Amino acid sequence: MPEYQNLFTRVQVRTRHVDWGVPVADPSWRTDGFKPFMNYWIGKIGDAQIGPIYLGWTGIASIFFGVLAINIMGLNFLAQVDWHPIQFIRQLPWLSLDPPSPANGLGLAPLAEGGWWQIAGLFLTVSILLWWWRTYSRARAMGLGTHLAWAFASAIWLYLVLGLIRPVLMGSWGEAVPFGIFSHLDWTAAFSIRYGNLFYNPFHMLSIAFLYGSALLFAMHAGTILATAKLGAEREIEQVTDRGTAAERGALFWRWTMGFNATMESIHRWAWWFAVLTTLTGGIGILLTGTAVDNWYLWGQKHGLVPQYPALPAQLDPAQMGTPDEQKGYYQQVPPDSFPGLPGRTDLESPVGKRKYPMGGTGAIEGKNRPHVSGGKTP
Amino acid sequence: MTRTRTLLALGAAGLVLATAACERPPVDTAQIGFRGVAMETVTNPRIDATLKARNTVPEPITPAPPGDPAPPGTWQNVAVLGNLSVAEFNRTMLAMQSWVSPTSGPEAGCAYCHNVANMASDEKYTKVVARRMLQMTQHINATYTGHVAQTGVTCYTCHRGQPVPQNIWFYTDRYQPLRHYLDRTDIRVQGGAALPADADNRSSIKQTEYAYAVMINMSTALGVNCTFCHNSRNWASWEQSTPKRIVAYRGLSMVRDLNMNYLVPLQGIWPANRLGMHGDGPKLMCSTCHQGVNKPLYGAPMAKDYPGMYPAAPTGTDAVRTTAMGGAPATPTP
Repeated sequence: MPEYQNLFTRVQVRTRHVDWGVPVADPSWRTDGFKPFMNYWIGKIGDAQIGPIYLGWTGIASIFFGVLAINIMGLNFLAQVDWHPIQFIRQLPWLSLDPPSPANGLGLAPLAEGGWWQIAGLFLTVSILLWWWRTYSRARAMGLGTHLAWAFASAIWLYLVLGLIRPVLMGSWGEAVPFGIFSHLDWTAAFSIRYGNLFYNPFHMLSIAFLYGSALLFAMHAGTILATAKLGAEREIEQVTDRGTAAERGALFWRWTMGFNATMESIHRWAWWFAVLTTLTGGIGILLTGTAVDNWYLWGQKHGLVPQYPALPAQLDPAQMGTPDEQKGYYQQVPPDSFPGLPGRTDLESPVGKRKYPMGGTGAIEGKNRPHVSGGKTP
Repeated sequence: MTRTRTLLALGAAGLVLATAACERPPVDTAQIGFRGVAMETVTNPRIDATLKARNTVPEPITPAPPGDPAPPGTWQNVAVLGNLSVAEFNRTMLAMQSWVSPTSGPEAGCAYCHNVANMASDEKYTKVVARRMLQMTQHINATYTGHVAQTGVTCYTCHRGQPVPQNIWFYTDRYQPLRHYLDRTDIRVQGGAALPADADNRSSIKQTEYAYAVMINMSTALGVNCTFCHNSRNWASWEQSTPKRIVAYRGLSMVRDLNMNYLVPLQGIWPANRLGMHGDGPKLMCSTCHQGVNKPLYGAPMAKDYPGMYPAAPTGTDAVRTTAMGGAPATPTP
């Protein structure tokens, strides 16, 4: 099999005895309870040594809150399938822990109506922030730069915009993303539809450009280094200033093919900034949606982003022709937002301002009657 | 080399697993919009063959000789089909039992609705329901020509030889979005202006998911994708939609009308075993007629062979609303 196609490392990186690492000023990174060991298969994809692992109080607290959050989600999923383990696995992709209904505003919700989502979200956020502190403090303890922590912070920014900052600005937790495999994807689709097509959001465009750009840069850089590895290219950083034949050849290759080459140093800045800007611009795009712009398509039209195509045969919005009375909504005096036998809500008004939901008079179609909150046994 | 082959085999198996939800080729695509806007219909001849086999129309029963309406006093307790000749009346009854009744058991044939010892009796609930369903069919064919055109519908369009049509719905928690087929008049969630201050739009993400669910329900029912009606870059725009969207909109109004005025009022008539988990009667939706095809039964003009599927004469209100729904009043085609 040709060498370049190989998935695995060609060199086992391992030492005769476990390597406890370089001496550092702060000895707290070393844990005594966990003895490092070697593993051949791990050596196939990276360094063959596992450990030592530093946990510290941030690590322990982060794992504690993270496990709590995941458990709250998992137990809610289990409750939705009546604690049936096989159904739990079969239906896992469709199960979801939803935020409170929009009518709940920013208040605390009853546990079964989004309260568990609020608790799980709080714990998950605490866990993520503690883990961020861990990446920052460990980098400082070892005397490293804090690039990793700031790149991670960029991803956390997007997470916080989606689940905390934007919902607060919109005045309702119901705007936030549910916890669930398909449900968070459905949320994404519905979010784009509700706000008139996210593709016309310039920050979404930037985020996509950086995302795809990251993948392109990753492939270009990894390809270059692997291709020149037999000439010593893996010593990338030394070759920043002291260019060996590998760096010279790689650079010439790119100048030949596109007239310009990154250096052994600058390629890593390209990659870092592309990755960081993906979530940074993405977060800005989400933050502006609903707060500053309600319909991105119409916004794009206003600003000349939208191409015009030949019109289809003239159409008249049939709703403007009026709806015959007998087709208007009623159902045996039961409010239209509840099924008979299930609790209904008629008191729904937007928590922000005095405006009513435009749909069906009350607009209440929220999670109240969903299986996991009503205790229903819908399969 | 053996290891390479094993890896390749594993990779291929993984690919098959990962794409198990996709349709096997061939897939045919036809452009229906301006170039570059990705408005296209997607068909698969293999799946089409299955659908075609499942959506065939039974041979019409030999036509009855033309004749005058049955003279008064011919029938007892006939509310709907009294305008037909005796021969046509009997032919319609025969057709209905072949479209709807079970073919075996004590309730096969006429006995599904009638007490065969006293055909006029309303003692079986099925007869009361059948009468209302006949009125509904006539109402559809007379009023909703903007949706069913001159093709019209018959009992068979939904029933397909089954006493209970296959695609019906009841209240359940997961069917909440289907209330748009019943008593929610507005599915719109997108605002009409770019900026929040002008749009005054408080639709929630959850409402959007419900609208999305109804749209996907329609899409599945018709076996078409979103761009059959919409230009997906701007769902709300009627200017960029195909004319099909108007037909679909009339269909949505029709479904709501039929559920409200024909099916829901029958709730007290159905026995418990015909009701859903919340005690509600069956309701219809797009797939009840369409069954995976954008024109039910591939648009086979079946109703024209059965004058009983049309009302005696368009009533005043029906005629007015027919025009409102964008069609010319239908007349029975002999």
